[in-house]
Formats: sequence, structure tokens, C-alpha cells
Amino acid sequence: MEGVSYQRFPRIKIREVKGDYMKFELRDTDASIANALRRVMIAEVPTIAIDLVEIEVNSSVLNDEFISHRLGLIPLTSERAMSMRFSRDCDACDGDGQCEYCSVEFYLRVKCLSDQTLDVTSKDLLSSDHTVVPVDYSDASSGFDNSTNKGIIIVKLRRGQELRLRAIARKGIAKDHAKWSPAATVTFMYEPDIYINEDMMETLTLEEKRELVDSSPTKVFGIDPENKVIVVDPEAYTYDDEVLKKCEAMGKPGLIEIHAKEDSFIFTVETTGAVKASQLVLNAIEVLKQKLDAVRLSDDTVEADDQFGELGAHMRGG
Amino acid sequence: MNAPDRYERFVVPEGVKKVSYERDTKIINAATFTVEREEHTIGNILRMQLHRDDNVLFAGYKLPHPLQYKILLRIQTTSQSSPMQAYNQAINDLDKELDHLKNQFEGELAKHSREY
Repeated sequence: MEGVSYQRFPRIKIREVKGDYMKFELRDTDASIANALRRVMIAEVPTIAIDLVEIEVNSSVLNDEFISHRLGLIPLTSERAMSMRFSRDCDACDGDGQCEYCSVEFYLRVKCLSDQTLDVTSKDLLSSDHTVVPVDYSDASSGFDNSTNKGIIIVKLRRGQELRLRAIARKGIAKDHAKWSPAATVTFMYEPDIYINEDMMETLTLEEKRELVDSSPTKVFGIDPENKVIVVDPEAYTYDDEVLKKCEAMGKPGLIEIHAKEDSFIFTVETTGAVKASQLVLNAIEVLKQKLDAVRLSDDTVEADDQFGELGAHMRGG
Repeated sequence: MNAPDRYERFVVPEGVKKVSYERDTKIINAATFTVEREEHTIGNILRMQLHRDDNVLFAGYKLPHPLQYKILLRIQTTSQSSPMQAYNQAINDLDKELDHLKNQFEGELAKHSREY
């Protein structure tokens, strides 16, 4: 027998997309879905990061493991990650994790020959796969000075020092190690529902209205030309209760009421550059779907219960 | 020194079932689902979806211990349904909701990229 469906039809409205950054509204669903999406974006969307380093020569001031750790933290472009294999389930390379399906090879060969200090950066990493390279932050819109931006500094070398190594990058998730997290920040807030009791507001003097407006630490309220208190920016409200306390102190409880809408969320997503923000959200939905699929009951579990059910019915005298 | 391997948190060991099901011996139409290698992400969305089902009398989940990488999901239903049916229904509904969400998002994204 088929049960009735209790499915919801959430709505999305994108406000802003800007490469690594995006803002959108999610409506007609509950906090569990919003939070699941947030959690998946932070810890379960796969990316590619350096996971194994073989050091050939290192005469720099930093020790081998320190440099390896720094290499691991460099964001690599990971559009390929969703279709790549985890090296633990890769059967093409007997689990040593060094084949083209589950890994990308990098080389770094730098030696300082001048008296000038040499910066070794992520741009010195040579990739075996042009789709997986260190993220380029020299984007014109980033506000950094382009001419001086040469990638992420790994180590600095003085005359005669050398660094030579081979690194293997693998697919992984941030649940394993935070270096695999594609997310810089992912947050959501409840959309506030602000109600002003106009009749009660009428009884306030202009001076009192100003005080009330100024009592909010963020600019949520304002006064319009007709000297009425209006909501300027509801989303600036941080649920600090300061205006509500002010109303209370003025002997006017209920002058302003603020409730969080239970089914409306405003998401802010920022990525490390490993994937675009819009792609991160899509990948998160996909990963969550895969997770749900994995927790479906297997046939043998159902079968075992059917037998149990007959036995149970028998025991109950049915 | 004796810390568990990091992968233990999300790789189901060989010979262990992802989901196991155990009926309650005293209450009819009640059961506990043990889901291996999952946590609040799955536990909470399943619980909230089950609460939307009118035939579900009780649905709750717990993460027994941070180092036991599993969740326990307990469901009791009316005689019109069964825990297994409610569980499957919840997963199907969530799956469809996510499909819808994906389409919505892609639609919005296309609209947005056209505007600029």
C-alpha cells in the first residue's frame, strides 16, 4: 500500500551571485532542510586537495611536514571532484591512490640563485591535469593589486636553498580533514517578521521615536518625513531584543513585535574558490540526495522483517 | 595515540549494514532504525519529515555518543501505517523535495545569469 505524500515544494530566490559569493532566499521548507544543506556544504561536498607529499630536497627553513601541511591547505580547482573517485574505492590502482581516476600529480622544483629572497608560491606547483590547479586569486574584482599577487606563499628561500618535491592530490571531504572544505562561510538566518503597532506609536513624541530607533545596535528602523517610525532594513536585525527591551522600558510593551519566520531563510555562501558558490549549492543538494539514497532500507532487511512479521502474527495467535 | 582513524566517521566497515531495523518487543508499530555512519544531517531531516506524517505517533533520533558513528531513529505509527512504511515514505518525500529544490535553483540561476 502506498502512503499519502507529505512532500513540500520549497521556493528559491537568488539575490546575488558573484563567483565565490552568493546570497539567496529559501522559502516553504523548515530549518532541518536549511541546516542539512548548510552542514553538507561545509563538511560533505568533495573537493581535491594535496594529500601525499614526497620530498626530494628541502633545504628551506621550514621542515618537511610543515611544508606538506601548507601544501594540503592550498585550494585547488575542484569542478572535477564530483565525478572523480575516492582513492579508497578506486579499483584501477589497487588502492594505492595514484591513478588518473582518483589522483592528480603535482611537482614543485624551485631553487634560489640570487641574493634576493625567493617566494615559493602556489603558482610554482606544476599540475599533471590542467583542470586541477591551485586557485587563481588574481581576479580583477578581488581588490588586490594584481601586479603583486603571485598566489599563496608556501615558503621563502634565500640564496642556495632549494625545494624539490612531488605531491599527490586526492578527492576528499571536510569530515575527513578541513582542508577539503569548499566552504569559507555558509550561514543562514531566519527572515524576521517585524510588526509595529501604529496606534501605540502615535502616542510617542518625536524625541521618544528617535530614542527607540537609536536603541537598535543595527540600523533596522528609521523615521520617514512624516515622522513615522518605519522598518528600513528588516534583515539588519540580529535578534538582539534591544528594541523590544526599549519598548518595555518606555512602558509600551507590544509597541514592536518581532518574530522569526519559521519557513523562510536567507543564505549566504562563500567558497574558498575550489568551486563556484552556485556550484557548491548544487553539489550540496546532490550529495544530500546521495546520502538519503544510501539510507534506504535494503531488500534483505525488509525480507527479514516480513518473516518476523509472520512469526509475530503466529505468536499472537493470528 | 589511540584516536580512531578519521575515515571511521564516514566509511561503513565491511560486513556492517548501513541501516538495520529492530521492532519494539512491547509496543506494536514501533521500531528503531540504526543508521551507521550518519549524524544530525540525516537524522534531523528524517525526524522532521516523519513529524509531517499524520500516521506517525512518535519520531525521534539520537546520536548516542560522538565516537559511536551512528544514529538511532525511533518511530511509532498508528495501525494505519508501519514504521517501515513511514520511513520509506519520508525518504521518498525528501528525495522529491530535493529534486524540486534542484530544479528551482537551476531555474533561478539561469534567470540570474541571463539578466547580467
